Amino acid sequence: MGANLVQLNVNPCKMCMPMGSLTAFFGIRGCMTILHGSQGCSTYIRRHMATHYNEPVDIASSSLTEQGTVFGGADNLIRGLENLIQLYHPEVIGVATSCLAETIGEDVPAIVETFRQKHPELDAALITVPSAGYSGTQYEGFFRTLRAVVSQVEMDTRPNGKVNVITGMISPADTRWLKSLLEGMGVEAILLPDLSENLDGGHGDSYSRLPMGGTPISEIGLMGGARMTLELSAFQNKDTSPARVLNEKYGVPFLRLPLPCGLAATDALIRELKKLGGTVSEGLRKERERYLDAMIDSHKYNALARPVICGEPDFVRSVVGLCCENGAVPVVAATGSDCKGWEESIHPQIEKAASVQLVKRFSVLNDADFDEIEHAARENGANLIIGSSDARRAAANLGLDLVRHSFPVHDHVGGQRLRMLGYEGSLQLLDRMTNTLLSKRNSRFRGEQYEKYYRGAKETSPPDETAESLALRTAKHPCFTCAEGKYARMHLPVAPECNIQCGYCVRKFDCPNESRPGVTSGILTPEEALEKYKRVKEKIPNLTVAGIAGPGDALANFPETSETLRLIRAYDPDVTFCLSTNGLMLPLYAQELVRLGVTHVTVTLNTVSPETGAKIYSHIDFMGKRYYGEEGASILLANQLSGLKLLCSLGVVCKINIVLLSGINENEIAEVVRTVKQLGAKLTNIMQLVPVKGSAFEHLSPVPNRKLADLRRECGKILPQMLHCRHCRADAIGTLDNDRSIEFREKPQQKSEAPLRFAVAARDGKPEPTCEADAIPEQKLSGHGIRLFTTYDKMEHAVKNGAKQMTGGIET
Amino acid sequence: MQTTGILEERKSSILLKNRKGSRAPITCDRASVAGAVSQRACVYCGARVVLNPITDAFHIVHGPIGCASYTWDIRGSLTSGSTLFRNSFSTDLREKDIVFGGAEKLKAAIDEIMEKYAPKLIFVYATCIVGVIGDDVEAVCRQAEKTYHNRVIPVKAPGFSGTKSQGYKLACNAILQLLAPHENQPKQNGINILGDFNLAGEIWIIQNYFREIGVPVISTMTGDANYETLIRAPSARLNLVQCAGSSLYLAQRMEEKMEIPFLKVSFFGIEDTTNSLLQAAKALGDKETTARAEAFTKEQSAKVRAAIAPYCEKLRGKRAAIYVGGGFKAISLIRQFREMGVETVVVGTQTGKPEDYETIQSLVNPGTVILDDTNPAELEAFIRKTHADLLVGGVKERPLAYKLGIAFCDHNHERKHALAGYEGVVNFAQEINLSVNSPVWQAVSSRTI
Repeated sequence: MGANLVQLNVNPCKMCMPMGSLTAFFGIRGCMTILHGSQGCSTYIRRHMATHYNEPVDIASSSLTEQGTVFGGADNLIRGLENLIQLYHPEVIGVATSCLAETIGEDVPAIVETFRQKHPELDAALITVPSAGYSGTQYEGFFRTLRAVVSQVEMDTRPNGKVNVITGMISPADTRWLKSLLEGMGVEAILLPDLSENLDGGHGDSYSRLPMGGTPISEIGLMGGARMTLELSAFQNKDTSPARVLNEKYGVPFLRLPLPCGLAATDALIRELKKLGGTVSEGLRKERERYLDAMIDSHKYNALARPVICGEPDFVRSVVGLCCENGAVPVVAATGSDCKGWEESIHPQIEKAASVQLVKRFSVLNDADFDEIEHAARENGANLIIGSSDARRAAANLGLDLVRHSFPVHDHVGGQRLRMLGYEGSLQLLDRMTNTLLSKRNSRFRGEQYEKYYRGAKETSPPDETAESLALRTAKHPCFTCAEGKYARMHLPVAPECNIQCGYCVRKFDCPNESRPGVTSGILTPEEALEKYKRVKEKIPNLTVAGIAGPGDALANFPETSETLRLIRAYDPDVTFCLSTNGLMLPLYAQELVRLGVTHVTVTLNTVSPETGAKIYSHIDFMGKRYYGEEGASILLANQLSGLKLLCSLGVVCKINIVLLSGINENEIAEVVRTVKQLGAKLTNIMQLVPVKGSAFEHLSPVPNRKLADLRRECGKILPQMLHCRHCRADAIGTLDNDRSIEFREKPQQKSEAPLRFAVAARDGKPEPTCEADAIPEQKLSGHGIRLFTTYDKMEHAVKNGAKQMTGGIET
Repeated sequence: MQTTGILEERKSSILLKNRKGSRAPITCDRASVAGAVSQRACVYCGARVVLNPITDAFHIVHGPIGCASYTWDIRGSLTSGSTLFRNSFSTDLREKDIVFGGAEKLKAAIDEIMEKYAPKLIFVYATCIVGVIGDDVEAVCRQAEKTYHNRVIPVKAPGFSGTKSQGYKLACNAILQLLAPHENQPKQNGINILGDFNLAGEIWIIQNYFREIGVPVISTMTGDANYETLIRAPSARLNLVQCAGSSLYLAQRMEEKMEIPFLKVSFFGIEDTTNSLLQAAKALGDKETTARAEAFTKEQSAKVRAAIAPYCEKLRGKRAAIYVGGGFKAISLIRQFREMGVETVVVGTQTGKPEDYETIQSLVNPGTVILDDTNPAELEAFIRKTHADLLVGGVKERPLAYKLGIAFCDHNHERKHALAGYEGVVNFAQEINLSVNSPVWQAVSSRTI
């Protein structure tokens, strides 16, 4: 995409609130969760989680039906609770709501109360959390759930000397590290949630479908008596912060720290833990030293990193910090959440890193989708993406490598084992980033340097053009100089393919009678083109120019184009080479064209505005990918302009064709002429539209001729105008006023004594349909010696196959 | 309360094939039991998975973000043309839209798309809350069609309005709505293939077969389909229906409205692929085509039998559990396993119909467990009880199989290799073998430290 549709979220960089909510419940021991809503919500979330964690993810649903939606879903929820208890026998039950339950106004706490009264024997704790999908993303859902947990669990408020540590959606592997850090420093802590086991379990002797890892409810009940809460998230507010609830309800003081990723943030956490009585072991000190050593080892590579970092607010902030302290400059930092205070916390960090490397552009995008992220990455010259698997399509579109991290990683294995916290975890992520850049550079630099600098004897050098010889060629070129039919040119139709779709163009490869660009009576191979050139040169001695004008685009068929020119040059060292192109591939081939001896080029350039371009070109195909709309038009325009500039600087005489399109580009013509003049074009040709049947502009009326004449006069003040254009075919031969191509067409095959003649009745309307093939009385035809032959092939194949049948299998 | 794997309400959806071989009824095609942890998705999902492979359409999800996020590029259908369908578009409704309505947002989104891309076809999926907050999606779409003279087709698919099957039906109705202006076309010699979604290029494989035997394929639904190929569908002489669960309804309506007869087919396994090709050739009533089909299927079957023989050697006597979406796939898999010498001991579907279960009962051995809309607890219980060696299912079932220490074959959205056609038979045998006979199972059953 990349068109930045502003009314839609295009390729979300976020998930919904219940996703976060249900994940958080997985950090509590013996907890089973039910999502009050449609069946699909829980299934989708289970599927999403199962592909990332590679663990069974059982989440119940109240499976709301139409009836429940109209009359309330209390019965469904109560029956659902009863069933899940029977199947799982949980210690804790999480009850989260979906969009639907919240919108129809379900009073879940009241329903749960009814359920409790109905089942006094129940010993499981029930925790409810409102989590409508539209109220926020998985990020807010996760913390809201933790907040609900500490609000609803009954607390033993007697001081116990413990420290509460609250985290967001960190990986099970990082959770295990955090636990071992706390244990290693001798800090008695209650971790909420504890995702270390349930979403990254082992393969033991038995499998329990109820997740038995996680923070026990009994431990959670002690959080109100802790001496301190460390909330490892930078962006929580009164609606989401569990630490704040513990503070307001039970007087537990709290401190908010960023996730311990990178040196500064990890140091900050460890210093706080020290203040709380923790000790720093020799091993931990050594870990820090190794991180410092690695920072130095890699700093020159990292300085070249221009990553895009996208995901949850805390994740992005932490990875931005990691990158910046290592000299990398994140050129796009984006979160899909709408997060207050987030931009302000990111911007200064990147600004500082950017100023060191003289990086001018970077974007910090709050509430962003991948359409925006992709666009910004392209604009800002990113060379890497760090984010979840959801970024993989953007990465592919941008041709960038993706370092997969955070949630979800569902196209690689091991998402649950990825590390980024602590010195060692930071280093693991940093190494992955650095090595991705190194691999790319090592695999590409030979080719890149070769392309950039090698100018050796790749091709025979072009004939030396002097200013005089070039002027003479121009004088003898019937399109570049109006010489009243003194000189002839021939177009060699060797280029059938095109890489853009213009609204006015329909190409035809077997059309004998239309006179306009894009049509030819047949396609030639380079060898056939040479043969034809020889024949024409013999009959038309004033032939001065050999050109390639399609019927597609000369540069979209570059192997054929270059081979044709090479063959003809070997035969005729004097002929002037000319070609026309849409300019998309010009930057790539300009040098090569000069080497092949091309001295004159016509570029069709209808507008210098991508917005207008999007109306003219429905799509372009560039480097193996199709681009639409403004995105395609922008790429085309950029290449046309840079290609034209390059070509002119190499001494090639360039003419610009501009197709005048009523109501589309008619008011931009002068601007086009001015622009191409600056780039070095010598001539422009403002052309009348030929409305072609079957093209998008079939019904667009041409601009009145008087207006065209006025425009040409006006633009003539800027740049000389070609006024004698005849809209030639792709296989035109002769002077502009006398197309003699018909004399040189291939004669019918003479191999069989009587040539076969075909009457074609087609049904799908490509040539005008005349009759139904199977409605022709076969017998009547055979009476006239005509055989009926039904086929579903393309025309050229059909005729070939028919001939084969008629001649008993001889290839004709 | 006890912790067995089976709820009282679920018992009538579980069947044991009896010794006498008589057929018993099973409760199916009903809403899922609350709290039972069904593996099913919802109405919206059913509609989305059927329509999403249409490559050049804008698929807009009108609703909060979750539904769009989780179905982004779902199925992994391949395309030979546009890649537009691989994007995820959502109106991303927020709290204020819930209060003030989202219709304006939808209208603005369509206007913007038309201005920038002018596609011929837009589908608007309305999810759970859209109806509840009172957005008139149909009116917005109708108005857009009037303004832009293209097709803007509403798919009102709130998740709660039935099962996934209901979503299939909505998708079929959307396609019928698309075809309506093109219904009266002269017929031409050719077929449509319904109910194949071009996972891993499977529709291309099947198209190649028909090319080989000289049967033109006019339209595919919906794998690798686009607006232009779809609207030619009414000119076909015959419809082949593969995934009957999703597309039988479409075939039935097309028969009524467009006089196109249909055949139920399957391209999974040698037997089903061969029969399907022969049936289609015969139905077109042309002796030459039938002769070509006979020669082709004979040659391919022999080739593939030889190719899988070494795998069958290694798989003989293994026991399979099957839990898939639709009935046709389960039925084909039972046959395919039989061809390989593997016995099916558990078989279930998410959306099977009574007639599917009848066929299943006629195919399996006595003692086989048959399940409708099952859940992890039941799967666990029956896999243990029947000592199955492998499970065929979708990604949600994979971790369970692995935790229970048995092999797994993904026969759903995620697969990257073809399982259909003759090529698919070989891939399938390879996949089953590499998982069932992997050395990891020996490692996990070895003595602990």
